[in-house]
Amino acid sequence: AIAAEGNDPTEQLTVFHSADNFNVKHPLMNKWTLWFTKPPSGKGGNDWSDLLKEVVTFDSVEEFWGIYNNISKTSDLSLKSDYHLFKQGVRPEWEDVQNKNGGKWSYQFRDKRAVNIDELWLNVMLSAIGETLEADAANEVMGVVVNVRKAFYRIGVWTRTTGAKGGNKDALMEIGKRFKDVLKLPARDYVEFSGHTESAHSGSTRAKAKYSV
Amino acid sequence: TAEPKETDEPALPSAALTALRSARPIETLKGLEYPEGIQSPNPALNPTAAPAKFRYDKDFLMQFQTVFTDKPSTDWDERMSKTIGDIESARPGVGSR
Repeated sequence: AIAAEGNDPTEQLTVFHSADNFNVKHPLMNKWTLWFTKPPSGKGGNDWSDLLKEVVTFDSVEEFWGIYNNISKTSDLSLKSDYHLFKQGVRPEWEDVQNKNGGKWSYQFRDKRAVNIDELWLNVMLSAIGETLEADAANEVMGVVVNVRKAFYRIGVWTRTTGAKGGNKDALMEIGKRFKDVLKLPARDYVEFSGHTESAHSGSTRAKAKYSV
Repeated sequence: TAEPKETDEPALPSAALTALRSARPIETLKGLEYPEGIQSPNPALNPTAAPAKFRYDKDFLMQFQTVFTDKPSTDWDERMSKTIGDIESARPGVGSR
């Protein structure tokens, strides 16, 4: 028997006991910041850094859902929009000093009508904030991103290293495997990893994959 | 409640938002009881969890979806229009699908 209106001040009431009167919340292991890239408007001020907007920072499960339930779904966004969910203090740009030695796992969904992008992006966000994308103490995940483009949706996981130079390749491969599971991809499809530096030098985000899984 | 609609005064926080702001982070999952029908976080994910450092599985997290639905701040609509913009009123032809 659960007493939602109990008078015991030490009683822990979760949002499941009382949605309007809970006194404990579920902390996240990290604080996360949601960012949005606005599509270029056709008018001035279209530098990418001007288009990248910090939306909100949160650190509890409850707050995540308050945000998710009151924000545009990915499938409703205009072309050239992105959502980025990154650990607080990390800008979702490869130029950020914390990303410059890193890379990303990503997958492009080319048949946009066949894919439930809202469900996939939600599942990827939940695996990030729930800290199930990597094994204990790997500390590689920097953030996750979804890109809305004319020809595809793309979801990515950004990592701190590329597995080289002090990085942990096993940890990176494990993240790739878990990411592929979260996206429910069949074995014949591959998620691909590339380093940010290579992407930058090739002038394209479609640099040659360094690893795939 | 008699406030005019065009006021710049921030709206009063909802009961859920007030609870969210004052709630304490859970320190330990041990001894925390959920109402019947609510599944606890997968214990296998938290064998040696430090205080307030937990991993949560998707099934656990999904249970909150219909439970915490209020806007997460009183200035949420304003924040949305400054960052993401009003999707409904986007100019036709610009990024239209």
